[in-house]
Amino acid sequence: MDWSVLLSADVLGQMLFFATPLLLAALGEVITERSGVLNVAIEGLMALGASVGFLAAYLAASNGVGIGAAMAAGGLIGLLLAYGTISLQVSQLTLGLALHVLCVGLASLLYRLVVGLQFVPPQIQTFRGKGGDTLWQVLTGLPGPVYAVLLLAVVVHVIIFHTPVGLRLRACGENPRAADLLGVNVFRIRYLATVVGSMLIAAAGALLPMMLTATYSDRMIGGRGWIALMLVILGRWLPFRIVLGGWLFGYVEALQYRLGLQLVTVPPQFLLMLPYVFVILVAIRAYGGAAGPQALMRPYDREARG
Amino acid sequence: MEGAARDWRWSVLAYALALALTLAVTTVIIVALGHDPIPAYRTALKDSVGTIGGLSQTLNRMTPLLLASLAFALGFKAGAFNIGMDGQIYAGAILATGVGFLLADLEVGRIVGLPVALLAAGVGGALWILLPAVMRVVWGVNEIFTTVMLNFVATLLVEYLATGPWNDPMAGEAITLPVPRGVTLPMLLARGGAHSGVILASIVALAAWAFLYRTRAGYELRAVGSNPLAAQMAGISLRRVHLLALLLSGAAAGLGGGIEVAGVHHRLLLGLTPDYGIMGILIAVLAGFHPVLLIPANFAFAVLVAASDSLQRTVGFPSAAVFMLQALVVIIVIGVQALQQRRRRFVI
Amino acid sequence: MPSLTETSGRGAGPSFGAEPPFVHAQGISKRFGAIQALDGVNFEVARGEIHVVLGENGAGKTSLMSVLTGLYQADAGEILVDGRPVRITSPADALRLGIAMVPQHVELVNNLTVWENVILGREQGGLFLRRDHQRQQVAELAQRYDLPIDPDAVVASLAAGQKQKVEILKMLHRQARLLILDEPTTYLTPQEVDSLFGTLTSLVQRGMTVILVTHKLRDALRIGNRLTVMRGGRVVAAGVPASETDELQLVRWLIGGQDETGQLLEAEPLPPLGSEAAPVLQVENLSVQVPGRVALRDISLTVRAGEIVGLAGVAGSGQRELAEALVGLLPTAGGRVLLNGTDITAWPVAHRLDAGLACIPEDRLREGILPSMPIVETFVLGLHRYLFPDGRYRIGKALEAANRVIDEYKVKTPHAWFPTAALSGGNVQKVIVGRAVQMCSYHRHPALVAMNPTRGLDVRTVRDVHHRLRQVASQGGAVLLVSEDLDELMGNCHRIAVIYQGRVDAVFDGPDYDRYQIGEYMLGRHEREAG
Repeated sequence: MDWSVLLSADVLGQMLFFATPLLLAALGEVITERSGVLNVAIEGLMALGASVGFLAAYLAASNGVGIGAAMAAGGLIGLLLAYGTISLQVSQLTLGLALHVLCVGLASLLYRLVVGLQFVPPQIQTFRGKGGDTLWQVLTGLPGPVYAVLLLAVVVHVIIFHTPVGLRLRACGENPRAADLLGVNVFRIRYLATVVGSMLIAAAGALLPMMLTATYSDRMIGGRGWIALMLVILGRWLPFRIVLGGWLFGYVEALQYRLGLQLVTVPPQFLLMLPYVFVILVAIRAYGGAAGPQALMRPYDREARG
Repeated sequence: MEGAARDWRWSVLAYALALALTLAVTTVIIVALGHDPIPAYRTALKDSVGTIGGLSQTLNRMTPLLLASLAFALGFKAGAFNIGMDGQIYAGAILATGVGFLLADLEVGRIVGLPVALLAAGVGGALWILLPAVMRVVWGVNEIFTTVMLNFVATLLVEYLATGPWNDPMAGEAITLPVPRGVTLPMLLARGGAHSGVILASIVALAAWAFLYRTRAGYELRAVGSNPLAAQMAGISLRRVHLLALLLSGAAAGLGGGIEVAGVHHRLLLGLTPDYGIMGILIAVLAGFHPVLLIPANFAFAVLVAASDSLQRTVGFPSAAVFMLQALVVIIVIGVQALQQRRRRFVI
Repeated sequence: MPSLTETSGRGAGPSFGAEPPFVHAQGISKRFGAIQALDGVNFEVARGEIHVVLGENGAGKTSLMSVLTGLYQADAGEILVDGRPVRITSPADALRLGIAMVPQHVELVNNLTVWENVILGREQGGLFLRRDHQRQQVAELAQRYDLPIDPDAVVASLAAGQKQKVEILKMLHRQARLLILDEPTTYLTPQEVDSLFGTLTSLVQRGMTVILVTHKLRDALRIGNRLTVMRGGRVVAAGVPASETDELQLVRWLIGGQDETGQLLEAEPLPPLGSEAAPVLQVENLSVQVPGRVALRDISLTVRAGEIVGLAGVAGSGQRELAEALVGLLPTAGGRVLLNGTDITAWPVAHRLDAGLACIPEDRLREGILPSMPIVETFVLGLHRYLFPDGRYRIGKALEAANRVIDEYKVKTPHAWFPTAALSGGNVQKVIVGRAVQMCSYHRHPALVAMNPTRGLDVRTVRDVHHRLRQVASQGGAVLLVSEDLDELMGNCHRIAVIYQGRVDAVFDGPDYDRYQIGEYMLGRHEREAG
């Protein structure tokens, strides 16, 4: 086969394309984690976002409405997670996993209740780019969300490192007591970060039917939430590094499709395994010397005694 | 013991609240689907506990669920989060099926065939978690990611086997040829179709309890789960404990896959135990990760699953709804527990 | 002379009398479960004074200050500032009133810079952080109050004394008018204490009011204008001018019963050391590397049977690494460790413990207990290899041993099955010490490594822990007592070794130690003078 396709304009364009939902979810997660809350409901939130987003976009015939609805649904679940982990100090892993299951079930249920069983699944308009042949045309002709999410990465970086809110966010994730003693409302910051993060994660889920499939199906997230969670670690909780990591995963996904066209003798299941195996291998690298926010997963209790 | 009495009341409140809400939501969904809930519930009760057939359905479902939740609990007790039980169930099922095919040529009876197949299933589950376990103890990679990624790999592997080399051409879907009779489980309630796997799974749960609470190694495992730093300072090897706990966890889940093949389907198929692994997490949380309490908790969840299957047949109740309801039950219970704990801090 | 009263009332010096006190707390009560931490406390501080709140650990000092700063909500009582009643429900409320606290364990965000820590919560930059401007502001503030700190330094890299000054800077940035310092001298060298007191004096001269919370008589009499003494959640002496009291009087207030006075002042004598005592724990030229740096360099140290050797040093000088290397948690890069003559350098932790090494970990909650498990299971951690040699977990045997220690150490718990996490710090430490002592009891010449074993404990528990260490030594054991509190070491050790930047350059023989000389070594000044 011709190996030059591995770096063709097509594959590079698809790399940016496939990276987009991952990046959006990872940006949502990084905001939450920077405040000291780990959101492991991420995969379920994406599923809920995909379902709600698809349904709203379908009913309103507008992807914008779909994304808005997905964010609202994600925000509600985020509020639940925030109340449980911040106010009630439930284990973030336990509640996160339970909410993950809740969201997966709810996503499927909503779709079934609204659409019912149909032989031909309904479709929505996907975001489309101009496309093109040259590298420049391909890279500038991608669908809008690709650029919007990259812009968002810059915004998140600026917020985290160059604004008072970001300073407080980082402080809450590292040493909430220090922040609290200075009059920073740790609870409010963590609530805010959890809700906003969940909204972005749900929006990332909504991008999947709007960019890739045009339809909703129950298992369409396919581990992208978990991959985004890994992406945050690989990116060392830094938005720009997360973008680079997202491109890496996007590239593998693009490659998988490309190889599927080239290597017809390999059973397709093995090619589909590629991203998952890749994530496992990358995990070794990701964990080498990774130090997250010091207070990650630790509930803050103002009256706790030493 | 005034405190104990209050705890007991809170627990009852939590479960009652969860049950009431589950019923309410279910009723709303049934009505929304345009059906009368009362006869639907009556049938559902019959199909889950009310008849021998229904009870058998429940017991059969309880078996892999019990082993999956035990798998999660074993890891959790050591402070590890194995959430890849679905993958390990598949791996166990693959190995049990493979061994079944191998044994078919030898024409061995159940006395040899069944233990070998079930052992292979346990080994399969353990092998499937070997890589995450090694990555955890050598590089410190969190097993959440690795085990969950392997779920997807296992699903694809089963799809490949069930549509490719082991495919039953008569079936027309992702399903393999049947395994020989020598590797199938004997029946427990032949009339209702319950296989004896539930006995085996319960024995495994009791054995897990004995290991955790009556051996020094089990104590070390729990100590690591409670506080790895303290355990390390007391001379307990975190690596050894984590490796052991994760392998045991994988083996338990794998055994569940083997039993499902040997007891229910006698074949390997895609969707063998749909999301039972992740359900196992919820049940383990609900039972407080206690191996013995897992048995009644799993029975209760199995009733829920069997009842919802019945509702699916009668009123088209979406299978996703039961998934959501289970999560709701767990969220309510842990929420109430947390509220209760907030009220009794600073005891001494 | 009315004019004098007027001038002193305007910030420069302490002002008592006519005008209402700056801060006045009335009838404050606070309860934690079964513990009455504060019981109808009345407390007042006047503008422009240094007011010392003296009390043993557990007397309620910190709880009272936590109520004043909004960290705890009082169950009853009222707070008046400048004579007006106020509600303080959060640290933010307290800051608005100008009340700020520097906690005992500094609370800084380690991975942020000094200036970021200082402006946190009061950034005043509009939408964006104006880096240069704010860094400049912090630098100016530091200069104005004579606190030499680099605003760009990352906090994690600072020494304890400097971190404390960052805390003070934070409060100055918030225009604090009342600065509360909770046990600020515990982990400082004598030299750093001098520097801190100098800073406080100059702050007061510029109009600040200071509350200094401490259990050290020396500090109290040295810097306080007035003193308030607390005991058992109550005030036993309120606002006594420092000039009108003395050490003996303070001790009486501190501990109550008069007959105990002599006992507490005079520490229990150290067990005499046999001249032929054999070395138990020998460290020979030990070096340890942790990623990125050399943590221990060529350390040699011997602890003999019956001996308590102290290891002094400012926090982060390598004490932790030494203890971890001795226990076997850190691999050695060079040198040997011998236990009763046997080379254990390459042994895993379990083998060392089985051979007679025991450890009281530094951070009891993080490293010592099994929080989710019952007390009995926390107690057998480490002992389990002694108690269950055949691999069967015999709960009866464990309960028997645990109950013995609960009785003997007077651990306050309803029963041994009680969750460990529900115990208070002092009771937790009793369980941990009891466990370590029992591990020692299986051997003729055990070695006990005790890391800051009394941090944050009340006075009786502190004495109890010290007593147990002596007991281990007098029965033939060797004790290495690691502490950042020099007073503790001087009162309890036959010899004191000083660790500085991973090296032990000096070992001092007791019982008469020169505090300042040890301080020089703790700060590494001996090097600069030599070089």
